[in-house]
Amino acid sequence: MGILEKLKRRSATESGIRDFCIQTIRFKKFLENARSLLDCFEDGREKFFGEYIFDRHYVVSVIDRVVEQLGMMVYDASVLAPESGEALFAAYDKHKLAAENLIASNGLDMNNRHSNSAAAISDRDDPEYRLLSDALRWFNGKGASDAPADQPTVMDFMKQVFFAVMAALDGPDNAAKQAVIENRGTFAAGKDLYVIDLWKDAHALPKTNRAVSDVRSVPFRHLLMDTGGEKGDAGQHSLKACAWVAAISDDQLSLSTLNPASRFRLETLASGYESSDFIFVFADRSVNLDVLLPEGFHVENSESGRFAWNLDVSAKIIGDSLMVIGRNLFG
Amino acid sequence: MKKTLEVLLLDDEPIVGRRLKPALDKIGCHVEVFENPKQAVARINEKEFDIVVTDIRMEEMDGIQVLEHVQAKWPRTKVILITGYAKMDLARDAMGKGVFDFIAKPFRPDDLRQIILNAAAALGFAPNGLNVTEKTGGKTSVKS
Repeated sequence: MGILEKLKRRSATESGIRDFCIQTIRFKKFLENARSLLDCFEDGREKFFGEYIFDRHYVVSVIDRVVEQLGMMVYDASVLAPESGEALFAAYDKHKLAAENLIASNGLDMNNRHSNSAAAISDRDDPEYRLLSDALRWFNGKGASDAPADQPTVMDFMKQVFFAVMAALDGPDNAAKQAVIENRGTFAAGKDLYVIDLWKDAHALPKTNRAVSDVRSVPFRHLLMDTGGEKGDAGQHSLKACAWVAAISDDQLSLSTLNPASRFRLETLASGYESSDFIFVFADRSVNLDVLLPEGFHVENSESGRFAWNLDVSAKIIGDSLMVIGRNLFG
Repeated sequence: MKKTLEVLLLDDEPIVGRRLKPALDKIGCHVEVFENPKQAVARINEKEFDIVVTDIRMEEMDGIQVLEHVQAKWPRTKVILITGYAKMDLARDAMGKGVFDFIAKPFRPDDLRQIILNAAAALGFAPNGLNVTEKTGGKTSVKS
């Protein structure tokens, strides 16, 4: 290979690594918007079941916040998975319309639509409570009544958006991820693990293989703490044969498989600020999350896989959880 | 004779009066509820209330105007404002006009009860004049 060819190839790899870093950072932003949406759900739920005094303005403001955050999430998704953008925006428009209809209904027709469950809400017959109950059912199907939601929920749509993003990030066509494999400098020798420093490697690629023991990322160190600092045999589960990529910064870790047949992704922020720290995990159906995760995670199931998250957690809980996950994955 | 704490509650959202009246009745207040600010002001002209609780944002007359009216007519009356939004300009305005306290929606009935008890104490009501327990740790708490 001539010098020109080598330079061209190196330039493509550098650009691919940069794209990979940008994707990872953007995905974190995407998760933050998803988290804000979950916070909206939780706020509404707390006010509904916590005997709060609220008025219509409050309910409308929660619905508006959900629409706004959902729009930001869809925008992030359209950047990460451009081929899905049009379909996602079309579905988002339907949810915007559902929100407008909800606000226009003013909680006045709930008894007609859910007459079987009227007894369940007999002590919550104010229009404001009915409107909030309807909003909660639209959010995630969990209002005052147990009647199934008669339209797709925001949570259903969030899952759809997640899958579109996951398919783009972890699919075989992601050129940015391929660039990681092509650059041997990010490889942690003998451990089937590529380590990308999100803020350094985008500027200059490492020239020699990375030593895991030199990585300063707090969550990464916790992940491998109980595995002797090295990635060993991955046990009996479906991730046994996988190679991995870990994108890291001092307080962030984004871990995913390089094998599209077994998709697993872990995202965590361990900054020490409980209100922003989290662990998020997605695994396809080939992976048994019940075995991999410690207790305390909220888990959502879907046809294509499972999502699990733990929000507002202390540094200790994050550290302990990562050690358990690391042991189960690599121990 | 034990004096009852007279409270006027004004909010154009019916849910507020419906939910709060029983909560305040429970601690021994006598509560009159209004949704129309003009009717409330007419009642204030007739009767000296110990405490007026009013929403800030209303269609015909806002809470600041109600506050000004109460203070001109009955300077001893304590006024508590309910805010639906973080309206700092309105809040600053009200602070300058001598409002007793604010409470922001959404809130729990207990949150308002505590402010009512503080206002009652400022008016010289003994804690046992209301249906409350003795002061503990500098705070008066509501009987369960």
